[in-house]
Amino acid sequence: MTAINNECPYISKNKITFSFDGKTFPAFEGDTVASALLRNNIRLVGRSFKYHRPRGIYTCGIEEPNALVQILSEHNEPNTRATVKRIYDGIKISSQNRWPSLKFDLGAINNILSPIFSAGFYYKTFMGPKGFWKNIYEPLIRKSAGLGKPPKNFRSKSIHQYHNTDIVIIGGGLSGLIAARKFINTKYKVLLIEQDSFLGGILKNTNKVESINDNSPSEWIKETEDLLSNSTNITVLKNTLVTTYNFTNHLVALEDKFSGKKIDLNKSELTLHKIRTSQTILSNGHIERFISFRNNDLPGVMLASSFEKYIHRYGVVPEEKPVIFTNNSSTFSLLKSIISLGCKPQAYIDSRRKDEIESEIKKFLKTNNILSYFDAEVEGCDGNKKIEKITVRQGKNYYKINSSMLCVSGGFNPDIHLFTQSKGLVKWDKQIASFKPDTSFQKTVTLGSVSGNYNFKKLCDEIDEKLSFLKTKKLNFEIKLNVSNKFSVKELWETKKKNNSNWSKTFIDLHNDVTTKDLKQAITEGFDRIEHLKRYTTNSMGTDQGKISSINSLAIVSKLLKKEISEVGTTTYRPPYAPLSFAAIAGRSTYEFYDPERKTSIHSWHLKNNAVFEDVGQWKRPWYFKAYNNETMHQAVQRESKILRESAGILDGSTLGKIEIKGRDALEFMNLMYTNAFTKMKPMTSRYALMLGEDGMIKDDGIICKINDQHFIATTTSSGAPKVLADMEEYLQTEWPHLKVYLNSITEQFSTFNISGPKTRDIMTRVFPNIDFSNEAFPFMTFKNFDYQNTKIRIMRASFTGELGYEIYISPKYGLELWKKIFSCGKAFNLIPYGTETMHLLRAEKGYIVIGQETDGTVTPIDLNYNWMIGKNKRDFIGKRSLSRPDTARDDRKQLVGLSPINKSDTIEEGQHIVEINKLPNKIKNPIKYLGHVSSSYHSPNLNQSIGLAMIKGGNNLLGQKFFVTVSGKTQNIPVEIVNPVFIDPENKRLTS
Amino acid sequence: MSKIVSLPGVEITQRDFHQIIIRGNGSETFNNIIKEKTSVKPPLRNLEVKYDENFVFGKNSPDQWSLIFIDKKEHNQINNLVTSINVNEDLLATDCSYGQVYFEIEGSNKDEFLNQLTHFDLRENRFPKSTMAQTIVARIDCSIYNLGSKLILTCNKSYEDYFQKRLKDTALLSNAS
Repeated sequence: MTAINNECPYISKNKITFSFDGKTFPAFEGDTVASALLRNNIRLVGRSFKYHRPRGIYTCGIEEPNALVQILSEHNEPNTRATVKRIYDGIKISSQNRWPSLKFDLGAINNILSPIFSAGFYYKTFMGPKGFWKNIYEPLIRKSAGLGKPPKNFRSKSIHQYHNTDIVIIGGGLSGLIAARKFINTKYKVLLIEQDSFLGGILKNTNKVESINDNSPSEWIKETEDLLSNSTNITVLKNTLVTTYNFTNHLVALEDKFSGKKIDLNKSELTLHKIRTSQTILSNGHIERFISFRNNDLPGVMLASSFEKYIHRYGVVPEEKPVIFTNNSSTFSLLKSIISLGCKPQAYIDSRRKDEIESEIKKFLKTNNILSYFDAEVEGCDGNKKIEKITVRQGKNYYKINSSMLCVSGGFNPDIHLFTQSKGLVKWDKQIASFKPDTSFQKTVTLGSVSGNYNFKKLCDEIDEKLSFLKTKKLNFEIKLNVSNKFSVKELWETKKKNNSNWSKTFIDLHNDVTTKDLKQAITEGFDRIEHLKRYTTNSMGTDQGKISSINSLAIVSKLLKKEISEVGTTTYRPPYAPLSFAAIAGRSTYEFYDPERKTSIHSWHLKNNAVFEDVGQWKRPWYFKAYNNETMHQAVQRESKILRESAGILDGSTLGKIEIKGRDALEFMNLMYTNAFTKMKPMTSRYALMLGEDGMIKDDGIICKINDQHFIATTTSSGAPKVLADMEEYLQTEWPHLKVYLNSITEQFSTFNISGPKTRDIMTRVFPNIDFSNEAFPFMTFKNFDYQNTKIRIMRASFTGELGYEIYISPKYGLELWKKIFSCGKAFNLIPYGTETMHLLRAEKGYIVIGQETDGTVTPIDLNYNWMIGKNKRDFIGKRSLSRPDTARDDRKQLVGLSPINKSDTIEEGQHIVEINKLPNKIKNPIKYLGHVSSSYHSPNLNQSIGLAMIKGGNNLLGQKFFVTVSGKTQNIPVEIVNPVFIDPENKRLTS
Repeated sequence: MSKIVSLPGVEITQRDFHQIIIRGNGSETFNNIIKEKTSVKPPLRNLEVKYDENFVFGKNSPDQWSLIFIDKKEHNQINNLVTSINVNEDLLATDCSYGQVYFEIEGSNKDEFLNQLTHFDLRENRFPKSTMAQTIVARIDCSIYNLGSKLILTCNKSYEDYFQKRLKDTALLSNAS
């Protein structure tokens, strides 16, 4: 009893080879893994998830629950459906979830121990003994979980493609193609999506259709494909599976561009199509379901329509003498196909009474002398790793049939997965014994068998009627059939079991090894709601999403609960329809494109000068510059800090946010946005300013340059710039629409350099010889505009280091040139570039805060002793009212202080707690009084000690007192003294020198 | 001007343009001032674009316009124009010539190419000629000006490297697949 190869117009005659579990086999181009294995008489393909039972090929498509394999050639891709994956010459495949081999798998012991592993066993076990969970159970479960092995490292080149279209037709079978032909050269932009590598669907799966308009099915398909490819408005995507149907007709589909081809690592292997459409047409067909009987998982059990597909699509007849077991008339075409090939079914078993079966079927069975059992059912199968014997029950009699293959048909389910994802409502149809679409929630039309119409004769009428609201062509196709158009299904979900043994099982979910007994047990234990039952048993939760079994389980449950199936309802169908890889979802947003990068105009210089970068938002900012290869960050920062305070340093501050504010009400606007008072501020001066939230907490800070009362320029933090601008716009548009003020972001319009240090004035004088930088001509916190080459520059006297400093703003086109010039002029003064880490150290020495470091959304200006920045006489500003709330006015709020270790060699860590005790107990039984936390901490090369800034409860009243800072992982705390947060130059002599 | 992408049906060229952003209320006075200063009357409808061989003038939002100079200009000319517009109290003009980068995208497959980087609906009936859009392309904020036979796409200068790489990567993979 072997498979035979047959002529097939859809499969290439080109011979290829592939390997499975290390052995090489011949196949043809166009084969799937499954068709190629069947072609080579390989029935045992894998082991099941829980019980490690031998499993074979059950279906011929995406619904496959059993035949999952590992593709060794493609990054070790696991859990690949053998029934979908097309092979190519040299592809290496292995079975999975077995050890040491597929034929002898030690994991099969689970099958013997199955009474322990019944439904929900993991809710009842692993409770003890103490410590076993962490050390024994969890590692063991993790080791045994999953099916295949994880893929090896690889860099996907998957891409995303967006579409905006009028109509999407999902499914290129008969109904999809008829619908598509109606749209040819119409005004609609149409996308036809087919999961297979070819169009035609059922026309190529069976011989049910004899002709369409007197053309053979293949001629008609060819004609249709030609018409579609010549049309101006229809695009066809093959090898593309729609996985997701979101709100507002948004679809996600995955295209496998290397289906049947070896992957080229330089090319994009997958395309994730993201489609927005006005109208969706679902013509995605139906899926055959199985029947539960004893050992219905043995290799050799296959869905009847799948057996037929292997014959017609791939030219493989998996078995010359199969047994057919059905409860409907759809298997008639399979009977005819087998006989036409010169083979003969071993037996035909129909659960319907003889008088319920169409006479032409009975006549055919009789004419061909096929052993037939009517009003009968398969009790079960037996065999070692494959079917050997099939037991048939007819009335009270049992019959044994020797066969290695059993073709089962339990009826068809309209493939409502996508329809229900779209939130469409379904209803139970007794005639087809399944759920079918009822009410669409979105602009969705269902055509053909997905709508429950299995009658080819009525197909054109259905399509005409359902698409009548669109301006389409009137088309009529005369469809002639080879077999009866009747479906006449009789409900049969599970057959009665005669033998009971631990080995024998009746499965309802093959993927997750859920048996009908598990369903019964779950209901007995009170899980009688279908969603609860699903989760308790894991029924239909596998990667196949129970495509061939979920309706069966509903039916079995409904019988147990003595309810109608419609009362039990369905579980929720969620995307994706079938698994898709994370690589496809991520697309190109990985590695170098993980996050967009922003660079300043000086970036190339930084690279050449050994900058190490840090990410600030999306900006790449120099963190520190290495003077030599082995220099550590600590060494570099200490060096940069010391040199800057002795001579000069320059920072690329281009990332700082910059906003231009202009209008007749600009002054009032600024007074409202910031805490500071700007009314008396002189033109061409600048001021450090704070912006609060309505809760009175500090939101951002920056320097405000006042050009005049109608024109300001504000700087913001680098990462806060977009939010500050958005907030300003929002207040203008919603709270103060009467104010005549306009805003523009100018962050990108200027490169900004912060040069500071005692030698800065000398350097600036050399760079700009025509400008007087004396204290008198250019005092602290003033700014001036100058012509420079072919552009304008703005120079502001300001500093974030506590040293004499200037900020230079110049168009990015001229930025790099000026930067180089500054270095050229600064060489004599030992000018160095410095990065953000040094900037942080220097500002901490000076007691300057950083938003997000000293502040965390709970800090007011008063907490920082920045009362001087609050315009108390101002009528209003954002957050003003909140500052006078009793809570924000408390004396014991956390306040900014400095920390100085008593032992100067001690290093305190950022984020550590400040406590009153010098040593923590080994086991903390009672809460330790917490005073605050260290917000910033550095080793100051200029003070030669560790310094810190901290937010401490009532800190203002604790100056001079001794407390302790905790140390991570230790109980011994570091003694510190609470000091003024300004460590260097509290008189501002350097700043104003 | 440099060629970034050259594929069948897609040509992308980076261009050096000057640009100013103008904020104002769109009143008749505003229109007259802008016309006087720039010789072009601002577009009136939101997202409308006026253009010829010398300029592209788009109305980005009810109170914001962007004026891109296609013809070559000295930076000082732009600075002077900005200064002269800003003399008016109720207008704000900002030079962003070198804070933005500009890409011209042409060819019969330009929409399909761009739709690998943006969800934006580029179909003619949704994004007609002489209109503009502010949307996300390659995960960053961009403006697209539809000039019929070509699109002009602008984004912040700081993204220039990243954006060029994304365009080239898309071209490489489009070409390969």
